[in-house]
Amino acid sequence: MSPSILVAQNLSKVVPSAEGDLTILHALSLDLAQGDSLAIVGASGSGKSTLLGLLAGLDRPSAGKVMLAGHDLGPLDEDQRARVRAEHVGFVFQSFQLLDSLNALENVMLPLELDGRRDAREQARTLLERVGLGKRLSHTPRQLSGGEQQRVAIARAFAAQPAVLFADEPTGNLVSHTGERISDLLFELNKERGTTLVLVTHDERLARRCRRQIRLDAGRLVAPMEAR
Amino acid sequence: MSHMPLSRLGGLALRQLLRDVRASEVRVLFFALLVAVAASTAIGYFGARLNGAMQLRASEFLGADLVLQGSAPAREQQLDAGKALGLRHAHVVEFTSVVGGDNGIQLSSVKAADGAYPLRGQVRSAPAPYAEETPGGGPAPGEVWVEPRLLAALGLAIGDSIDVGMKTLRMSRVLTYEPDRANNFYSLTPRVMMNLADLEATGVIQPGSRVTYRDLWRGDAEALAQYRHTVEKDLAANQRLRDTRDGNQQIGGALGKAERYLNMASLVAVLLAGVAVALSASRYAARRLDASALLRCLGLSRHQALGLYCLQLAMLGLVAALAGALLGWLAQLGLFRLLHGLLPSVVPAGGIIPALAGIGTGLVALAGFALPPIAALGQVPPLRVLRRDLLPIPASSWLVYGAALLALGLIMWRLSLDLLLTFALLGGGLVAALLLGGLLLLGLRSLRQLLAGAPLTWRLGLGQLLRHPMAAAGQALAFGLILLAMALVALLRAELLDTWQAQLPKDAPNHFALNILPDDRELFIQHLHQVNAASAPLYPVTPGRLVQINEKPVQQVVSKDSAGERAVQRDLSLTWAAELPEGNVLTAGSWWQALPADNDIPGVSVEAQLASSLKLQMGDLLTFDIGGQQRQARVSSLRNVHWDSFQPNFYMIFQPGTLQGLPTTYLTSFYLAPGHDLDVVALSRAFPAVTILQVDALLDQLRSILAQVTLAVEYVLLFVLAAGLAVLFAGLQATLDERIRQGALLRALGAARPLLVKARRIEFGLLGAASGLLAAVGCELITWVLYRYAFDLQWSPHPWLLVLPLTGALLVGGAGVLGTRRALNASPLAVLREA
Repeated sequence: MSPSILVAQNLSKVVPSAEGDLTILHALSLDLAQGDSLAIVGASGSGKSTLLGLLAGLDRPSAGKVMLAGHDLGPLDEDQRARVRAEHVGFVFQSFQLLDSLNALENVMLPLELDGRRDAREQARTLLERVGLGKRLSHTPRQLSGGEQQRVAIARAFAAQPAVLFADEPTGNLVSHTGERISDLLFELNKERGTTLVLVTHDERLARRCRRQIRLDAGRLVAPMEAR
Repeated sequence: MSHMPLSRLGGLALRQLLRDVRASEVRVLFFALLVAVAASTAIGYFGARLNGAMQLRASEFLGADLVLQGSAPAREQQLDAGKALGLRHAHVVEFTSVVGGDNGIQLSSVKAADGAYPLRGQVRSAPAPYAEETPGGGPAPGEVWVEPRLLAALGLAIGDSIDVGMKTLRMSRVLTYEPDRANNFYSLTPRVMMNLADLEATGVIQPGSRVTYRDLWRGDAEALAQYRHTVEKDLAANQRLRDTRDGNQQIGGALGKAERYLNMASLVAVLLAGVAVALSASRYAARRLDASALLRCLGLSRHQALGLYCLQLAMLGLVAALAGALLGWLAQLGLFRLLHGLLPSVVPAGGIIPALAGIGTGLVALAGFALPPIAALGQVPPLRVLRRDLLPIPASSWLVYGAALLALGLIMWRLSLDLLLTFALLGGGLVAALLLGGLLLLGLRSLRQLLAGAPLTWRLGLGQLLRHPMAAAGQALAFGLILLAMALVALLRAELLDTWQAQLPKDAPNHFALNILPDDRELFIQHLHQVNAASAPLYPVTPGRLVQINEKPVQQVVSKDSAGERAVQRDLSLTWAAELPEGNVLTAGSWWQALPADNDIPGVSVEAQLASSLKLQMGDLLTFDIGGQQRQARVSSLRNVHWDSFQPNFYMIFQPGTLQGLPTTYLTSFYLAPGHDLDVVALSRAFPAVTILQVDALLDQLRSILAQVTLAVEYVLLFVLAAGLAVLFAGLQATLDERIRQGALLRALGAARPLLVKARRIEFGLLGAASGLLAAVGCELITWVLYRYAFDLQWSPHPWLLVLPLTGALLVGGAGVLGTRRALNASPLAVLREA
């Protein structure tokens, strides 16, 4: 097995609420190797997205530790974590999160341009062709269907060649056959590029395609992480 | 990405901006800035150029742009300084002297002028009394031009000679008009104008003679300012500089008011700019919250994200400001072309300052009002990509808005250089906004309870406002500010015009009659009645000088070069009156009801500005020297006097019966309709001792200046209205997204089009009415302060402001329904997809 790319140890998240402190994640640990894939499943409010946010360094845990690509996220401030994200992480969201004012090509170019890549345009075009949108480069998000928008988002996520790709309900807003095609695409790229895939989903079929799954219930791990 | 150089960030910002041009909110922001900068630039140019033109007209009343005046000749270096700056120069010497003819002598005021005089305006003369006058020229050496009353007094005719001192001069023409005579048309002695070359030969000027030396200068504003700067610091005690401001009180007053009005109009434009930019910038920021969160996810640091948006805005602002300045410049150019026939032929160019001020105004407004929402963009938590409800932590927005207000206040102050006006507008606007916004919020909240039983259209329309009462109050406030600004400018225009019209009615006195002897008084009044002249009362006048205040010599009390000092250096026209003259308003003390008791020191009513310059208090004891006799009086009241009216006005009015036994003549002013010149001739023949001065020319000049000012004021109003409307639409645009989505949803749910139109009318109509109400109340608050402290106008409530809610309802309602018709007409599906 390749070395660990994402490690969580005793991860907890407590938020204050009107009824006192509310623990939304209880001492959770996991360990993912490079190229692995993990599905986080559970009912609404079980803490899936909270866990994803902590693992990706978008939020800070109340206790515990996250190691992402060899970086301990704990002592890093927001800007330092942003740097880690820029170098190692990609995202796919349920609501696609494309920028309305940019067309498909420009949306995919964005992370490459942020990185100062001169070949941003060519890279983005190649990726869009790869996801089957080679003829829709100049379309804005409003002119694309939900499935097409998500394909643009996936192309954007892979553009920066991330070590870990986090996907939050990537098929949640899509009808089933479109969702099917999107998950195919995700796993193909995961395989092609050796990217580690962490996804949060309600979709049992999508979850089963991951090598490992964990189930959360009220912030606790109920189905342990096992190899398929 | 950790070390993203500025150049890459800049390049990225530029690319993003170019792509963002597709986004409607960027266009709205650009448009708002463009309009704001164009409006303030155009007004700035218009104001500056018109002011220049009016100054030019006003400078005729001085005969120059700047006058160095003193009781001794100007020093060589003072003259050299002006000549070195390339200023044109004329030299005039004035003195009072007895001139003699074959039949007698007459005290006259003699003016010796060189060939260059006057530098502004023209002297007018006629070949014989009451003959047709021609402009231009001046007496040649060996000649004098005289006023007709000198001919009458000496029984001479044109062609005869008079002696001025030791020199005999031939009277070649009748002097009918001197441009700078307006300063002093109360003058009691007839004018004799001679060539400066003859002055020495008269031998009149001896050490100790009372002479006024005037060096007239003309040139461009910069050179004049530099000259003023050079000369001002070492003026001799007897010297002072005069420009158009103090050339003539009538003109000065009108110009001052017009300038304040123009300044206020550009302040209003700045205010509108602020509102427009704030509206569109907050929409710009709101629409970029997701994008900012995403950029943070993609690894941009807070500072980089913030920098990216700031750079984008800066680029947008710069382009919009430059384009706006160009547009504003073109607009005023077009305007002046349009007004070609109405304006003076020479209108100064205006320079680069108004354009720079316009650009600066736009950029500061952008920085001030767009920075707070943009600063929030830097604070978006990246977790927002997973949880849409996460909003940026509101940064110390009080600090940021405080800074914005400060910056705006600075611009306003810079524009007007009038702290009071700035505070009145800024502070008044702020207080009104907070107060009314709070009231509105309360009102909206209580409306919620009433809504439960209302019909669907009302619930739909109002529901939109009630869902976000803060936002609704904010919108009403923004629209209210726009309406307020427009109403304020319109209101002040009307007041100013009224004031000017009242000041110079059609039948404003066009003649002054001086030196009416007590014995002739009744007969003179009868004559005036016979020729249907509308006359002011006859005021007794006795010349006297203020010599002591509280038994201390006045020279020890007054400060140098003040109005007070000038007033105590010459004889004042002292009068007495039982009634307070029309147009005078008491500011302190009370008017007397009876004659003073036998041994009492009588009261005197003093003009308020002079009193303040002389630091007079109620009850102070004044001592006057009247024809060698000392008379005392106590200050019993202070009065405001309208110097810009053409009524006889006095600095000092005594209690009746206190100046008895002193030599007295009477003076009055009267109006005689045009075409009655022969009546004037008859009048002066019947009363040879009486001096009758025609001030038609002065009145005409003043009227034409006021007409131009009025025109300027009206056009500026037009600009403000246009800018306000544009900004109103921009503001509406900024709130439409949400409504379009909602409309489409309702359509999709099966709501009929008329229902939606009605609901929308209710919503926007109410929003507009609320804005109008805010504007009306705010307008009254601000005008109260402005009238009282900045414009010197009488304040009374303006009931017509109550049409503002209706105007607001129609304007905002109409614009709102118009702007959202896209949502009503388009297929709901398409709109939903687009949203």
